[in-house]
Amino acid sequence: MKKKKAKFTKAKFEITVMASLGVIFLVVFAYLPMFGLVLAFKDGDHVLNISRAIFASDWVGFDNFRQFLYDKDFLNVLVNTIGLNLLQLAINFPAPILFALLLNEVQNGKCKKAIQAFTYLPHFLSWVSFAGIVFALVNMDTGIVNAALLKLGLVKEAVDFKGDPAYFWGMIVLTSLLKGIGWGSIIYLAALAGVDPTLYEAATMDGANRLHKAIHISIPSIAPTIVLFFIMQLSSLLNNGTEQILAFQTQSNLDRSEVIDTFVLKYGIRKNMYSYASAVGFFKSAISLLLISVSNFVCKKITGQGVIY
Amino acid sequence: MGVVDVLILAVLILFSFCCLYPIWYVLVGSFNEGIDYTAGGVYFWPRVFSLDNYALVVTDIRIWKGYLVTIGRTVIGTLLHLFFTSLVAYGMGRRELPCKKFFNFVNIFTMFFGGGLIPYFLVLKILGFLNTFWVYVIPCMYSVYNMIVIRTFIAGLPEDLHESAVMDGAGEFRIYFMIILPLIKPVLATVALWTIVWHWNSYLDSMYYVTNSDLYSLQYVLMRIINESSTPTGSNLPPDVFERMNPKTVSLAAIIVSTLPVLAAYPFLQKYFANGVMVGSLKG
Repeated sequence: MKKKKAKFTKAKFEITVMASLGVIFLVVFAYLPMFGLVLAFKDGDHVLNISRAIFASDWVGFDNFRQFLYDKDFLNVLVNTIGLNLLQLAINFPAPILFALLLNEVQNGKCKKAIQAFTYLPHFLSWVSFAGIVFALVNMDTGIVNAALLKLGLVKEAVDFKGDPAYFWGMIVLTSLLKGIGWGSIIYLAALAGVDPTLYEAATMDGANRLHKAIHISIPSIAPTIVLFFIMQLSSLLNNGTEQILAFQTQSNLDRSEVIDTFVLKYGIRKNMYSYASAVGFFKSAISLLLISVSNFVCKKITGQGVIY
Repeated sequence: MGVVDVLILAVLILFSFCCLYPIWYVLVGSFNEGIDYTAGGVYFWPRVFSLDNYALVVTDIRIWKGYLVTIGRTVIGTLLHLFFTSLVAYGMGRRELPCKKFFNFVNIFTMFFGGGLIPYFLVLKILGFLNTFWVYVIPCMYSVYNMIVIRTFIAGLPEDLHESAVMDGAGEFRIYFMIILPLIKPVLATVALWTIVWHWNSYLDSMYYVTNSDLYSLQYVLMRIINESSTPTGSNLPPDVFERMNPKTVSLAAIIVSTLPVLAAYPFLQKYFANGVMVGSLKG
């Protein structure tokens, strides 16, 4: 009896060790940085010795926050961040749903598979190579896009899509569409595959056409998935795909391409303004957490089940 | 087939074309002679066929250094990630685990709140990770999301396996290595594919944490080549060939060279990727 109990504790010990490995990792790479946020309330800019910046620099309260909240440049950054996200929410969020609904209408299995294979491909290209490809396509002298626009008479002279800030948001939305529609539709296709086929048969008997069936059967049956993903999108209103933005950002389109993440990078890492950049980062993290909590609460009210807890 | 079917198919095929054509366009440009390319109009087939762009790219030492770093980080990073994350996932899933709520909270909280880039950067700096190869693999050794995916898979295995192993006197580490690890191969394959693609395509870590150009990963090298406005020098190509070069077509060849492994592996792996998304969605 005694021996058995000893064995049980050993197992318990080993299991705890395994789970603790994860905790140790998170303490170093997730919780230690959270502790580093004290920098946001200190005057640690340009102090290159980090422990001195964290422990020995003066407390300045909310000065760093005040500094960027009153900064005109930051207002522009905030507009870009939220504007880009809202635009993507309006266009890039519904697109894969529409794509899944259309693909679901294709009866020929081989045809469907081929379309899926082709449209998933861009997802696997890196943003760097994708941006390189797009820059080649829209090049003012050699790109096919400008040539086509000129030929069709839509523009009078070649458009500088790469450098002109006016086109930056459009370029982000369009490239996200190309890269994301196919891949994003997988989850909705799976939900559509789970719909009981007898529902469609019964509707056909009642004389419903395809549009009726899509509106009254397909869409309601994937609605929970749609709501879930919509809320997840909403809660990342201050996150931009940094990999994408930085791949497309040029010196000349900064007016429309500078978002919070790239702003933090510039001030924090390039200019060593640790405290100022930490404050901006903290502002972003705090609002994100708030957004997640609110969306989770709303989701719980609507669907009776939270996204997170 | 009705009119609607044709219309739907037309839209889908048009979109498929939009997904494939850009890659074709780059391929065509990369095989075209540089100076001729600047005249424009090279859209569907090379006008003046040339291998010079590739000749220059393959003699560019930066590309091969980038390849080496990226292959290294992909192999080591993926193996380390699979081993570490699945070990933690096993521990996190066992009912013997005390204070389960605490462990869960510590994990989940990090998915919703973080210190942000700068404090993270400073932690890497303090730990001496900056400008080392390890910055690519150690900080992404573990992922809470993948841990949950693997834990969910392990929970679906029959509990008898564990019981009989305990009867035989096996310890938990032994059970994990000898019994669990072989059985969770399917989910590990999925997570491995995600991790491999992630490692292959990432460049931000090179940009943020590495200043030593010998340690740049392939995609960051590519980014620098794309943003270059002059043809890279230092190659031993004959000067007359060199004069007919153009940085644009050279960067197109560089895009193809660095994307080739993805394009080559894609047809074989595509269906596994799609399966993987389903595995991930099960938890919700």
